[in-house]
Amino acid sequence: MKANPILLEVFKNRFAAVSEEMGVTLIRTAFSPNIKERRDLSCAVFSARGDMIAQAAHIPVHLGSMPLSVKSAIEAAPMGPGDMAALNDPFKGGTHLPDITLVAPVFCGQGTKPAFYVANRAHHADVGGMSAGSMPLSSSIFQEGVIIPPLLLVRAGEADESLMRLILSQSRTPEERRGDFAAQIMANMTGVKRLVELAGKYGEETLSFYGEQLINYAEILARAAIREIPDGTYAFEDVLDGDGQGAENIPIRLTLAVDGEEAILDFRESGDQVRGCLNAVRSITVSACLYVFRALMTGDAPANAGILAPLRILTRPGSILDARFPAAVAGGNVETSQRVADVVLGALAKALPGRVPAASQGTMNNLAMGGLDPRTGRPFAYYETLAGGMGASLGQAGESAVHSHMTNTLNTPVEALEYACPFRVRAYGLRRGSGGEGRFPGGNGLVREIELLGDCEATVLSERRTSRPYGLAGGLPGAAGRNLLTRDGETTVMPGKFQADLRAGDVLRVETPGGGGYGAPDSPGESGD
Amino acid sequence: MRIIGVDTGGTFTDFIYQDAPAGSGGQTTETDGPLVWKAHKRLSTPDDPSRAALEGVAEIVRLTGWTDFRITHGSTVATNAILERKGAACALITNAGFEDVIEIGRQNRSRLYDLRYRKSPHIVPASLRFGLSCRTDADGAAVSPLDPEELLRLREALARSGAVSAAVCLLFSYLDPSMERAVGEALAPLGLSVSLSHEILAEFREFERTSTTVVNAYVAPVMAGYVERFDRAAGPGRLRIMQSNGGAISASTAMREPVRTILSGPAGGAAGALLAGRAAGCERLIAFDMGGTSTDVCLIDGELPMTMESEIAGYPVKAPMIAIHTVGAGGGSIARLDPGGALLAGPHSAGADPGPACYGKGEEVTVTDANLYLGRLVPERFLGGAMRLYPDRAARAIETLAARAGLSPRALAEGVLDVANANMERAIRVISVERGHDPREFALFSFGGAGGMHCAFLARLLGIREVLVPKNPGILSAVGMAAADVIKDYSLTVMRDGRLTAKQELEALFAPLEERAAKEMAGEGFGAADVRFERALDMRYLGQSFEIVTPFVEDFAEAFEALHERVYGYRNAGRGLQAVNIRLRASASPEKPRFAEAGNLTPDIPDAAFLGETRTVFDGREFATRVVDRERLLPGNALSGPAILTEMSATLVVPPFARAAIDAFGNCRVRLAPGAPGDERRTRP
Repeated sequence: MKANPILLEVFKNRFAAVSEEMGVTLIRTAFSPNIKERRDLSCAVFSARGDMIAQAAHIPVHLGSMPLSVKSAIEAAPMGPGDMAALNDPFKGGTHLPDITLVAPVFCGQGTKPAFYVANRAHHADVGGMSAGSMPLSSSIFQEGVIIPPLLLVRAGEADESLMRLILSQSRTPEERRGDFAAQIMANMTGVKRLVELAGKYGEETLSFYGEQLINYAEILARAAIREIPDGTYAFEDVLDGDGQGAENIPIRLTLAVDGEEAILDFRESGDQVRGCLNAVRSITVSACLYVFRALMTGDAPANAGILAPLRILTRPGSILDARFPAAVAGGNVETSQRVADVVLGALAKALPGRVPAASQGTMNNLAMGGLDPRTGRPFAYYETLAGGMGASLGQAGESAVHSHMTNTLNTPVEALEYACPFRVRAYGLRRGSGGEGRFPGGNGLVREIELLGDCEATVLSERRTSRPYGLAGGLPGAAGRNLLTRDGETTVMPGKFQADLRAGDVLRVETPGGGGYGAPDSPGESGD
Repeated sequence: MRIIGVDTGGTFTDFIYQDAPAGSGGQTTETDGPLVWKAHKRLSTPDDPSRAALEGVAEIVRLTGWTDFRITHGSTVATNAILERKGAACALITNAGFEDVIEIGRQNRSRLYDLRYRKSPHIVPASLRFGLSCRTDADGAAVSPLDPEELLRLREALARSGAVSAAVCLLFSYLDPSMERAVGEALAPLGLSVSLSHEILAEFREFERTSTTVVNAYVAPVMAGYVERFDRAAGPGRLRIMQSNGGAISASTAMREPVRTILSGPAGGAAGALLAGRAAGCERLIAFDMGGTSTDVCLIDGELPMTMESEIAGYPVKAPMIAIHTVGAGGGSIARLDPGGALLAGPHSAGADPGPACYGKGEEVTVTDANLYLGRLVPERFLGGAMRLYPDRAARAIETLAARAGLSPRALAEGVLDVANANMERAIRVISVERGHDPREFALFSFGGAGGMHCAFLARLLGIREVLVPKNPGILSAVGMAAADVIKDYSLTVMRDGRLTAKQELEALFAPLEERAAKEMAGEGFGAADVRFERALDMRYLGQSFEIVTPFVEDFAEAFEALHERVYGYRNAGRGLQAVNIRLRASASPEKPRFAEAGNLTPDIPDAAFLGETRTVFDGREFATRVVDRERLLPGNALSGPAILTEMSATLVVPPFARAAIDAFGNCRVRLAPGAPGDERRTRP
């Protein structure tokens, strides 16, 4: 069979539609605010070999790691019709424990082997561990919550109630978890159903063939994008502030070697894995690289396995970008991934001056809180990430108060938040003056100030509190972020990572970083807004 | 009372009215006999759309001699003010500390991989945003009260600011609107146009409510100016404006709440589709409106589907609107090969200038060129012969692209249509399959200039058996407007337990809404006896974030769970429920125009209807194809494909696998032969 340009486009649409419809189902029926309001989820379709064919445009940090989840599920247990495997083990295809992935095989017609797989990943608000919201300042994975190796959670269409109860019993909010699992199961069933319909219509062989062709298609586009990068070696280095447990200025080092339409990304000189929770498993590093190269590609290219083909990504086992069991990894997914993107873009800025923007905020500003709601006597769990400034680029100021690079989650509306949690939000606004100065200034970060109406436990996991998002071409760096706690009228600047028992009346204020500026500030340009 | 429907489009302004048939005399009297639709057309006047609208109305009045009439107008005034950013200088008054909510939005970006992402420019600049230190909490209690002196300072600042209108949006105002009202009263002496958020949208989620209120305030002065010009020329009180929800409201309401009108054009089309479908005995329709640059689709299951989630130019607007899904595929969509080797059709469009290659200026292949190349568009009959086409230019462009794709020109041309059809099929699947409907149970209702060349193929892709193409499809929107009910929607966030709350308690919550509705409907000219109320609840399982609109029936909890199961495939028996919002719709029908039905049907096709024969390609084969003048076909006439039915504004392609018949209402009904070859599997390299 030879690929036909017409069917290639038709199937590009078809596969994308399947993953998008899975996402719609999941968002609309989930219970975790993280999934339904903030859309911290991803849905994708995979080939029989476990290569990603199509991912709905959800969360980039899941890009490179979803395929590993699927492959590890395939290896762990053969799945029959109606079976689904669940997993969250970062060392077996997961990212961090709150991200639970559900994988389902797709059997077409009389086939005895899966023709495809579908998978969805969703960020559950609490999977147990040492602190509410399961984003702890941990020093081992065992403190972070329930570890689910790939196992069959659904057999022949029925959830395994014993396993389910075991998993749910680890969470502070088991009923919400149950609702989320139901939504995840339904999302996969939707994907399976649609693929079976498509196979019925076009034939399994044609459908599989075009699935593979779409991977080739993305590879061709990726190679075209790399060809535009001048051959050469480009090095860039930046740091993580620290793990909150002794390690500071942890280096992330990249040497990018571009040769024709292929590139080698060598991260092996980066720092060792640390005691705190900033460790990233390798798949997170891969995700960040995939994200950046996808952003260099044109139009509506599918984000799939083909993009990785011309890239060689080198990491050193035992380093912060390729952590070994039982490292603490809660923050690697959300924080370290951002710095990897910063570093890859920084190297590319040397190769492609003018095409790459200055650094964006470089953190997700994770805020997790939980306790008993004094209004109802029931437990609550809250987790969200806060936007910041985007980096400016040649000809354009950076956008303000928006999520950048590896995440794209929504905020929780103040009116929804105050119904659900014993909080009063006192301010939610732009942090003016935080964008880096430049001919084109960086975007501003934001301020979120929350007064507690009841006692609770809080964890803040944030970066760019000492280091700052870099500017380019003479532009200045964006302002570092700040975390402030006010108790009994006294305000304390808190570290970038901290955990605290908060009391009713305390006020937590987070100020997020601004983006870097582009071009020297005194050169003629446009003003920020 | 006579009604004139007026639809302002980009090129033409369409008018429709009902009158006695020509030749029956008595044009000016109210006859008992059947009235017929009469259409009228004028070139639009984009600099001031009211000019074309008023001139057309004046001409109709001259023709008919009417003195007692109303006008229902699908106005693009509010829409264009937003799209062209020509609204009023608008201030925002909110709680101190939350002035930037309107700018932050939901903190996400709509293009994930765009390293240079920018949001839509702000409607309200930071200098026109004002914060007040008052605050209400989630129980509706005042945590800090409104400070009268602060209000005085606000009034002075606003007076100096140059703002022409103001949006007031305070947190939790829907629970206790007294603070917003007090702000409104304090600002009254300034003579600004003031929009209060609890009146525009009394629902939680502050960004969406603020955005909706700000959009309203931004366009209100523009709408007011338009309505005043109209009233001066046509006489006061005659004008009703079409809303996005498919109903009309008085011009004076539209001046206060223009945000409700921003999608009135497509709403008219969907309303017209339901009306024409219903007359023909067909209430389950997928309305398909394919134009030059985009295609609108809408699933109508006996009633017009509503949604609250919409945005215009990047600004969320939560006002009830007909759920219409739009994709960037139309007759002008440009076909190209991307660097990865896929054939794309759209979303870029050649527009009217340069237009498709066959219009004589453009060089790129469009969907229209592919139709022309395959013989499905008859050049001599295009726009009644008023516009010359250049088939050789289309052929040249297609041959060039085909060579690059490694396909024969014919395969490429059919491929372009396959890709465009696949895009439109996907749009229809989004509104049907993904919402729990089987498209095979619906008829495809095709209108819009380019739809007739695609509808039969699209029906085949979706397994739909029948396509309904109305007579004179270009004026369907105006028909929908002329016949629109007066509809007003109200809602309120109540956040009650959906299992434990007694129906009577919710009934009581509806009472103030109904009181307000009755008063406002009286202002529209309807007494209590004429007004219908429909009550509904937005419900969800405790802990979910998306609500399902559930009819407020005796066992509303069961009704919700049944809907949840239909849409999402399962229910959570025993789980807590929340009644989030209550919804009230008040409607009343002005006199309804009727569709004329032919008394007798005839199988005999007038000879004059046959215009000749042309060569047409279907599924890789060439056919001798009859060209028929649709305007000369009579009710009862039927013919098998392949055939091409032309009329002034549209071309209908009847492929070999279909048969067309004219029904008693003049609609063309295209039925697909059972076992019509199923899909695009035939497309082989």
